[in-house]
Amino acid sequence: MVMSAPGPALPVLSTERLTVRFDGRAVLKDVSIEIPLGRVVSIIGPAGSGKTTLLRSFNRMNELIPGAKTAGTVHFQGVDLYDADIDQAEVRRRIGMVFQKATLFPKSVFDNVAFGLRAKGVEGDLHGLVEEALTVVGLWSGGAEVLDARALDLTAGEQRRLSIARALALKPDCLLLDEPTAALDPAASAKVESIIHALRHECTIVLATSDHTQAGRLSDLTAYLDSGRLMEYGATQELFTNPRNERTESYLTGRLP
Amino acid sequence: MTATALSRGAGNPRSPGERFGKHVLFTCAALSALLGAAVIVVVALETVRFFGRVSPARFFGGLTWAPLAEEPGFGVLPLIAGTAQIAAGATFLALPVGLLTAVFLRYYAGGRTASVLNAVVTLLACIPAVVYGYFALNYVTPAIRSVWPGVEGFNGISACLVVGLMILPTIVLLSREALGAVPNSLLEEGVALGATRRRVLVRLVVPAAAVGIAGSVVMAAARAVGETMIVTLAAGNPTGPTWNPLEGVRTLTTFLAQASLGDIPTGSIEYGACFAVAAVLFLLTCGMHAAGRALMARGQRGTLGAVRL
Repeated sequence: MVMSAPGPALPVLSTERLTVRFDGRAVLKDVSIEIPLGRVVSIIGPAGSGKTTLLRSFNRMNELIPGAKTAGTVHFQGVDLYDADIDQAEVRRRIGMVFQKATLFPKSVFDNVAFGLRAKGVEGDLHGLVEEALTVVGLWSGGAEVLDARALDLTAGEQRRLSIARALALKPDCLLLDEPTAALDPAASAKVESIIHALRHECTIVLATSDHTQAGRLSDLTAYLDSGRLMEYGATQELFTNPRNERTESYLTGRLP
Repeated sequence: MTATALSRGAGNPRSPGERFGKHVLFTCAALSALLGAAVIVVVALETVRFFGRVSPARFFGGLTWAPLAEEPGFGVLPLIAGTAQIAAGATFLALPVGLLTAVFLRYYAGGRTASVLNAVVTLLACIPAVVYGYFALNYVTPAIRSVWPGVEGFNGISACLVVGLMILPTIVLLSREALGAVPNSLLEEGVALGATRRRVLVRLVVPAAAVGIAGSVVMAAARAVGETMIVTLAAGNPTGPTWNPLEGVRTLTTFLAQASLGDIPTGSIEYGACFAVAAVLFLLTCGMHAAGRALMARGQRGTLGAVRL
């Protein structure tokens, strides 16, 4: 596997001294990070280290939580993401997100994938776009029956892939994946990982994972978060084999107190 | 260390003190249940006796309600129609405002705004009905008549408006509860897929809470059905049946209020008629209350299937 260097690639997302507080309690502290275009970036760290909050700050999802306050800046392709005039719906279409525990709509597979397209105002027959997204996640093989299947009748693995397809249908520039294989069996996890691996050519991917071996398998760059602080960030292989930060090393070797 | 034997005494659930306390509590509980049952039994017995003199067919099928007339009419339908008119009108007026207020409280209002608004809505629920009634008679009716001179001094519109105001807190607070049963993840998921908050609320969240909201509306309508004071003061108590909300309206409750002021001799047929009307009112409000609670309970279990994608 060829390791892409962090290199001078243009950052598609970047934060500067990002601090996020929930009811005054800082969950992210002074995080400055650049996500280069077209790369897969993993955010690892212990539970409660702020992985999900960092992910959610990339598409302004934290604002939906009452009592959330964001300080510092987040830029997307050079534009201040938190500018008051920004169309938030567009932000979320272009920076898609798959939650750790997806809420599938209790409707057909087709309706689930079409939801975002309809909200975007795409007119006419959506079958082409829906089938394209389902193909990427391996849920479409030409039969119409899968489109009409009830989303909630799918297996856990298929549901996870459907939730990815739902975000992909909007052809996002960037995809945020929160614990993409949590609670899946090994076979279903492997499928999801192969999808992520294939998607690296389509969009920039940021994934939060508590499985650092997954970060090692999938990502070009890895960031280690600890208690809301970005402790270390760099090429995955470098960070794994030669961590500069003591805490990173302790975490990777399972010796974190 | 020496072991001390456990003592026997007051801490024993079978001790006299504990048993006495339990008996007092049971007596109080039994008393309230008995009193409630006694009211129901009296109403039921008097109603049965009334149906011995006036057939249920005449009571439920007749179109004239005039128990005190020389040729008395015992058809309850005009009273039910009047009740339905007021309750439906009030609910129709209160539903949109109440539901939108609930959505605002749940999804838009910040901490401070929410608590102030909440306090005001709760305060509305504390205003005595007679105050609402005077408000209707002395402020709302004159206001209606100033823009619409054809409206009578006692009219259904004024009653609907003010009863609507009275049941507004029920719709707001119970609908908000119904919305609270919808998982937040539904809103987040819709928003994350690039839909506006408004679209997510209209198409996903409110439909998912629809059953619970329907429950809140039925509960509110049940309150409107049982409302007496406001309707008496605002809609009067005309003797003839009216179908026109611009005129006075007579309902099950206003008839009972008026009848209890008069001197109907105990045991007379008119006396029995009052109990029959009370029985109809009781069954109506009881049934609606039960239906409303059942809907609310079903809403709490989640009804995501109703989302409109």
